[in-house]
Amino acid sequence: MKKRNKKISWIERAAERIGIIPVNATRPDDPFEALDQEGLSKFPPIEQWDDWTEYEAKAHPRKEARRYTIVPTTCFNCESACGLTAYVEKETGTIRKFEGNPYHPGSRGRNCAKGPATINQITDPDRILYPLKRTGKRGEGKWERVSWDEALDDIAGRIAKALREERNNEVVYHVGRPGHEGYANRVLQAWGVDGHNSHTNICSSGARFGYNLWYGYDRPSPDHANAQCILLISAHLESGHYFNPHAQRIIEGKMKGAKLIVMDPRLSNTASMSDYWMPTYPGSESAVLLAMAKVILDEGLYNRQFVHDWVNWQDYLRAMHPEAPLQFETFIEKVREEYAQFTPEYARQESGVDPEMLVEVARAIGKAGERFATHTWRSASSGNLGGWAVARCLHFLNVLTGSVGTVGGTSPNSWNKFKPQFFDVPPAQKFWNELHFPNEYPLAFFEMSFLLPHFLKEGRGRMDVYFTRVFNPVWTYPDGFSWIEALSDEDKVGMHIALTPTWNETAYFADYVLPMGHSAERHDLNSYATHSGMWIAFRQPVLREAARRAGKEVTFTYEVNPGEVWEEDEFWIELSWRIDPDGSLGVREHFISPYRPGEKINIDEYYQYIFERTKGLPEAARAEGMTELQYMRKYGAFEVEKHVYQKYLEPIPEHALAEAEIDKESGEVSRDGKAIGVMLDGVARTGFPTPTRKNEFYSQTMVDWGWPEYALPTYIKSHIHPEKLDRERGEYCLVPTFRLPTLIHSRSGNAKWLTEISNRNPIWMHPHDARKIGVETGDLVRMNTDIGYFVDKVWVTQGMKPGVVACSHHLGRWRRPQDTVGNRWATNTVSIESSEDGVWNMKTLRGITPFASKDADSARIFWSDGGVHQNITHAVHPDPISGMHCWHQRVRIEKAHATDQYGDIQVDTRRSHEIYKEWLAMTRPAPGPGGLRRPLWFKRPIRPVESCYYLQDNGTGGDTDK
Amino acid sequence: MQYGFVIDNRKCIGCHACTTACKSEHDVPIGVNRTWVKQVEKGEFPHTRRIFSVLRCNHCSDAPCVEICPVEALFYREDGIVDFDKDRCIGCKSCMQACPYDALYIDPETRTAAKCNYCAHRIDVGLEPACVIVCPEEAIISGDLDDPDAKIAQLLAQEQVTVRKAAKGTVPNLYYIDGDEASLNPMRTEPSDSYFWNAQTRGVGHFARAAEKLAFSNSDIVDALTGLDTDKPERAPKSVEVLMQRENRIYDTPDKGILWGWEVSGYVWTKAIAAGVFLVWFIGWLMGDRGAFADLQVPVAVTGLIFLALTGVLLVLDLDQPRRFLYVLLRPQWNSWLTRGAYAITGYGGLLTLWGLAAYFEWQAIAQVTTWLTLGLALLTAIYTAFLFAQARGRDFWQSPSLALHMLVHSVMAGGATLVIMHLVSGQAIPSLLATTLILALVVNALTLTAELATTHATAEAKRTVAMIVHGRYQAAFWIGSVLIGCVLPFVLLLIGITAMPLWIASVAILIGILVTERIWVEAPQRIPLT
Repeated sequence: MKKRNKKISWIERAAERIGIIPVNATRPDDPFEALDQEGLSKFPPIEQWDDWTEYEAKAHPRKEARRYTIVPTTCFNCESACGLTAYVEKETGTIRKFEGNPYHPGSRGRNCAKGPATINQITDPDRILYPLKRTGKRGEGKWERVSWDEALDDIAGRIAKALREERNNEVVYHVGRPGHEGYANRVLQAWGVDGHNSHTNICSSGARFGYNLWYGYDRPSPDHANAQCILLISAHLESGHYFNPHAQRIIEGKMKGAKLIVMDPRLSNTASMSDYWMPTYPGSESAVLLAMAKVILDEGLYNRQFVHDWVNWQDYLRAMHPEAPLQFETFIEKVREEYAQFTPEYARQESGVDPEMLVEVARAIGKAGERFATHTWRSASSGNLGGWAVARCLHFLNVLTGSVGTVGGTSPNSWNKFKPQFFDVPPAQKFWNELHFPNEYPLAFFEMSFLLPHFLKEGRGRMDVYFTRVFNPVWTYPDGFSWIEALSDEDKVGMHIALTPTWNETAYFADYVLPMGHSAERHDLNSYATHSGMWIAFRQPVLREAARRAGKEVTFTYEVNPGEVWEEDEFWIELSWRIDPDGSLGVREHFISPYRPGEKINIDEYYQYIFERTKGLPEAARAEGMTELQYMRKYGAFEVEKHVYQKYLEPIPEHALAEAEIDKESGEVSRDGKAIGVMLDGVARTGFPTPTRKNEFYSQTMVDWGWPEYALPTYIKSHIHPEKLDRERGEYCLVPTFRLPTLIHSRSGNAKWLTEISNRNPIWMHPHDARKIGVETGDLVRMNTDIGYFVDKVWVTQGMKPGVVACSHHLGRWRRPQDTVGNRWATNTVSIESSEDGVWNMKTLRGITPFASKDADSARIFWSDGGVHQNITHAVHPDPISGMHCWHQRVRIEKAHATDQYGDIQVDTRRSHEIYKEWLAMTRPAPGPGGLRRPLWFKRPIRPVESCYYLQDNGTGGDTDK
Repeated sequence: MQYGFVIDNRKCIGCHACTTACKSEHDVPIGVNRTWVKQVEKGEFPHTRRIFSVLRCNHCSDAPCVEICPVEALFYREDGIVDFDKDRCIGCKSCMQACPYDALYIDPETRTAAKCNYCAHRIDVGLEPACVIVCPEEAIISGDLDDPDAKIAQLLAQEQVTVRKAAKGTVPNLYYIDGDEASLNPMRTEPSDSYFWNAQTRGVGHFARAAEKLAFSNSDIVDALTGLDTDKPERAPKSVEVLMQRENRIYDTPDKGILWGWEVSGYVWTKAIAAGVFLVWFIGWLMGDRGAFADLQVPVAVTGLIFLALTGVLLVLDLDQPRRFLYVLLRPQWNSWLTRGAYAITGYGGLLTLWGLAAYFEWQAIAQVTTWLTLGLALLTAIYTAFLFAQARGRDFWQSPSLALHMLVHSVMAGGATLVIMHLVSGQAIPSLLATTLILALVVNALTLTAELATTHATAEAKRTVAMIVHGRYQAAFWIGSVLIGCVLPFVLLLIGITAMPLWIASVAILIGILVTERIWVEAPQRIPLT
C-alpha cells in the first residue's frame, strides 16, 4: 500500500555520467545496512565506549563514519549533577555532543534541555579563555591578560600576609553553586579561615530551618516513585533540587496511580500536570497545611504508632500542659485544640483554596499514609516572612501520616547523600566570622550572605581577599546596586577574584577574572538526594580522560582545556602551595600526597583516595580488574546504596550503648551528656539528630532562643499578607522566584539553544488585574518596589492567581557598553548611572543583537528582547529567624509613565539600607542559653572549634574555655 | 516495517529536552527546529491547564513532501522513515508548502530543506533517536509499528490515540496519547511574534540572512535597526481575547515567514504571458484572419520566449540553491508537478523556438506540426501550476478544483492583453476577435474567482484565507487590484470602444490585475499557521 520512490531515472544517471551534475553517491535507492541487532538500543554498549563508531549526522544519508571515545562526566547547569557522556571525536580531539549517562543512578541516562546544551557552553564564542587583571578603576571594564603565575603569586602573597597578621576573617570564599562534595571547604579549613560564604540564604534557608527544627535534618528526600500521594510546594516538574531526577520519579509515581497535589499561585508546568492545583495566596500555605493536619487529626487518619513513638509529645505536654495527664490521648486532644481554628473555611479565607478540595486532598493524604511524598523548595518557604513555617507545617503532615523515611514517603536528604572521606582533615578553624554569622541571626541557615554589602557599609568588617565562584550576586541577589557599591570600594573589598568560565555582572567588578572549566572541563565529586538510594558521580574533564585513553599523559587539566582555562581543584592546590612556600603557616601540610610522602598531592590521588573508601566501590572495581579511579573514569557514577529507608530505626551499636545512660522515664539514651538515641520496646534506636532524638513537635530550642510563640508548628502571616497590602494604592504581591525549565540563574546565558527558547520575562497577570490596572498583554507597567522600580511588559494569563503577579528572575541579563563581549546571546546593553545620594538608574540602550563570531549562529539571533533585571530592585528582607531572604515583594503596579522605557530601572540604595535596618530590628540576637552564638545542635558549614560558639567580648572567638 | 513515534502526553512535562537534544545531534541552527514543544494554555482560572505538544515530522505513509519534491531529495526508506538528502535539494521550498505539519525548514547553513529524519543515521547503527533517549519522562516512544512485540505497538493497542490533521489523508506515523485539539489544531489559537518567554524580531531559516547582514554591519546601524521598539505594539493576543477564547498559545517556535514570495507570484505571471500569448494567437489563427495572424508568428514566438526566459530567471531566483537549478530536469522525480512543469516549460520553449523559426524561414510543414504540438505544451505550461499548488497539501486554499481554470483564464487574459499591446506598439489595428476573447475571458475570470472564493472551500483554513482576501489584510489589494483594475475597468473599457488609449489602459490593467491576484493567491494561504 505504501508508495515507494521508484528508481533513479536514466536521465540522472546519464547526466551524472556525462558530468553535467555531480554524482549523488547515496541515491535514495541505495540499500542501507541492515541492523545486526534485535530492536534499537538507547546507548552504545559500554564495551565500545573507548572506540565507538557512528555515522555523521550532518553528512547523512552519505555514510561518513566518525570514531568517538565516549567519556562520562556530569552536568553543571543546575544542582542535580545529572550524568552526561561526552562524545569526543578521535580524529579532531574535540567534544561533539553530550548525551546522558545510563550508569548514573540519579538521572538514569536522561537529561533536561540543559544537558545537551552543555556543548554550547564549551563552544561559546564569548567564554573567557585567559586570566585577566583589571587595568583601570574597579568596574571600569578595562582588562589585561596576565599569566597564571602572576595571578597565583599575587593572590597567594596577599592571603599569606593576612594569615600571618591573623586577619583570617578577611579571607573569604563566596560560592554560588559548589557542585563538589566539600572540596573547597577542606581547603578553607586548611587555611584556618572561617571564610566560607554561600548562597543558601537566598535559596533554601527557610525550608532548611523548618525541617531542621523537626528532625535535625535540613532537607527532604521524597520517594516519589513509590508514593501514593505527592504534595509539592515547589515546581519539581520543571526546576529545583533535583529537577530531572525528581521529575522522572514524580511522573513514574503518577503513572502508577499516585495523586499529585501542587500548591503554587501560578500555573507552573508542575501545577499543570497535577491532579489538584491549589493556587494558594503566597504565604498562606501553612494555614492550608495546618487545616489539612486538622482534618487528619479530627478524622483519625494519623499514624498512631509513629506519632506515639517518634514525636516528643511528652515534652509538649510537660511544657505547655503540665497539669494534664502525660498520655498520648491527651496529646491528641490538646493538639486538636491547638489547631481548632484551622478550619477549611479559615484556610480558604487566607489562601483562596476551595475548602472542599482541601478536605478531599487531606483525606487522600491520610489514605496514602506512609506513602506520602512531599517537598517544598524555594517557592513559599523562600518567599515569605516566616516561610520556614511552611516546611515545618508540611513535615507535620509527614509526621502525622508516619511517612518519615518510609517507602513512598519522605526521607531526610542526608540518608541519600554520600559523605566522602578525605585524605586529610585539617583541624577546625579558631575563628568565627561575624560577617557571615552575625549575632543578630543565631538560628540562621546559614551565612547571611545577602546582607554582606550592608554589613560592610556598617563597618562590621572588611574583606582583604574575596573569591567569588559560580556566584553572581550583582545580578542574582536582591539589591544588586548595593553590591556594586560594596565591590567598587577597595577599602571594603581589598581584592576581588572572580572564578568563572564566563562573564557575569559580578565579574565586571573584579580585580582578577580567572577562567575555570565548564562541567566537562573539571573534576568534582557529586552526590545528591535524588531518590531513595545513594550514589556518587564523577565529574571529570573529558578531554583529559580522552587523552589518557589515547595514551597521552596529562598532568594538569589546563593542558587539555581551551585557552588557559584551569579547573578549581588544581587551582586550590596550587594556590595553597604558594600561600605557604616553606610550610611555616601550616597550610602546605594539608596538601601532601597520601601516596607519595612529602610531595604535593595531585588530583588523581585526591579522588583515588576517596573512591578507595567508598562503600562497595573497591569490590565493584576489582570485579572488573580496575582501580577505583579507573572504574569511576569508565562509568562516571556508582550506586553506593540501592535503597535507604527508616534509618532512624537502626539500633545503637553495642560499643556505644555500653557507655551510654538510659533515662528510665523518657527512654532517652545519652552518652557524655548528649542524647544518642531512644529506647523503644527494649531496643535502643538511633532516632533523629535532635536534642530529644525524636521529631520535635514542641521545640525547646525555639523557646530557649527567645521565640516561645513558635514552639509549635504555626502559621506565620507573611510580609505580603493581604492585610499588609494597600489594594487601593494598587499594591500586589510579586512572586519573583520561579525558574524556567530551560535556564539556570545566570549560568545558562551562554547556551544558545536555551536562550533561543527563553529570552524574556514579562509580568504574569490575571485578566481581572490587567483590567483593573488598565493594561493588556505587551503593555508596559512600572513595578514599584520598596526601593525603586522596574519597567516590564505584561503578559495576561489565566494561569495566574488574581491579586498576585509573577515574574521569572531568569532573564534580564546585561552588560555595559564597555563590556564588549560576554553572553551576547542573552545580554541587553545597558547604561548605569548613579547620583551622589545613592540613586541608581539603569536604562536599556539596546536589546540583543546578532554578532559575528566563530559560531555562525551568532549572526542569526532572531530575538532582541532580553527581558528585565528585576532582582536588582528588590530590598533585602532577612527573615529574623531562619535568615532567609524573603523574596516576595510588595509592589505597587502602575501603568508606565510617559517617559518610561522598557527595561528602565531605578533604585535608591540609601532606602535599601533603611529597609535592611527595619528588618534587622525584628531579630532577637544571641547570646542564647549559656552565652551561645548558635545552638550547638544546629548545622553550620565548616564548623569552627566549639569554643568559638560562645560569645566573647571581642566577638572574634579564639581560645576560651566555656 | 514502519518506524513511528508515540508521544505520551500523560508524561510530557514540556521541558524542551527533546528540542535541544535534537539540535545537538544534528547541529540545527538557531531559529529553526526539527522538533519543538508548542504550548497552549487552556481554561479559566483556577481550572487552567497548559498543554504541551511535541511537534515534528509525522513520517507519513503518504507523505506530501515526498510527492512534491522535484528532485527526490525527500524519500521513503524501507523502514518507513521519511528521509532527506541535502545534497539533492534545490531549495524550492515546495515541501514546506506540501507538509501540513510545518515539519520542514530551510537550514541557513546548507540552504537546503531539512526536518526530523528519525535520526536515521543513528537507526543505521542500532540506536534510538536522540529525542527518545534524552526525554526525562520517556514520553517519546520510538519503534516499529508493525512489530506486535514492540512497546510502541503495544501502547497503540492499549491506549486511545490521535494524530494531527487526519483529514489530510497523509497517514501519519506519529500518534499522541492524550493529544489535545486545543494545541494540535493550529486554528484553535493565534500565533504571535511574542510569547511567554520568547519573542521574534528577525527572520529565521530561509530569512536568517537578514539577521546575518546585521551582525556584520556597523554597530550604530545595528543600534538604529534593533533598538528595542517600546512604542511598537506587540502582536500578542490581547487580554480581552484571552478572556474570550480561553485558549491561548503561549509558546511556539519562530515564524518561518512567507516562503514563496514575489518570485513565485512573478513567475506565475510571466508564465501566464508566455503561454497566453501563444494560446490567444492560436484562437485568433484558428477562428479569425489566418493571414494576419500568420504574420504575427515571429513576434509571438519572440515575446513568448522572452517571458519564458523571465519565468526561468524567477524560478531560479526563488531557489535557495540556485546553482542546482538543473537538478529539476536532470534529477527528475516524475510525480512532482514541479518536475513536470519544468519539462513542460522547457518543451514549450523548444517548440516555440522551432515554431518561430519555421515561420521565419517559412518551413510550412514544420510550422503545421509544431503549431499543434506547441498548443499542447502551452496549455500545460499555463495550467500546471494549479496541479503543483494542489500538491502543496499544506495549503488548503490551493486545494481548489477551479484553480486550473483560474490559471488558464489568467493565461488567456495575459496573452490577449500582451497581444493588444503588441498591436498598439506596431500601430496595427486590433482584430475584434482579440477584444471579444478578452471580454469573454474577463467574464470567465470573474466567475472563476467568485467560485474560488465563494463555493469550493470546505476547511476552516481555506475559509480564513478567503476572509483574509475578501475583508481582511488583502481586501484593498483584492477589491482594487484584482476586481476593479483587473476585471471591471478593462471590461468597461473594452466594451466602450476600440480607440488606442482605452485599450492601452485595459491591457495594462489586466496585466496588473493578474499580478496582484497571483500575489494574493500565492501569499495569503501561506499566512495560515500549520501548527
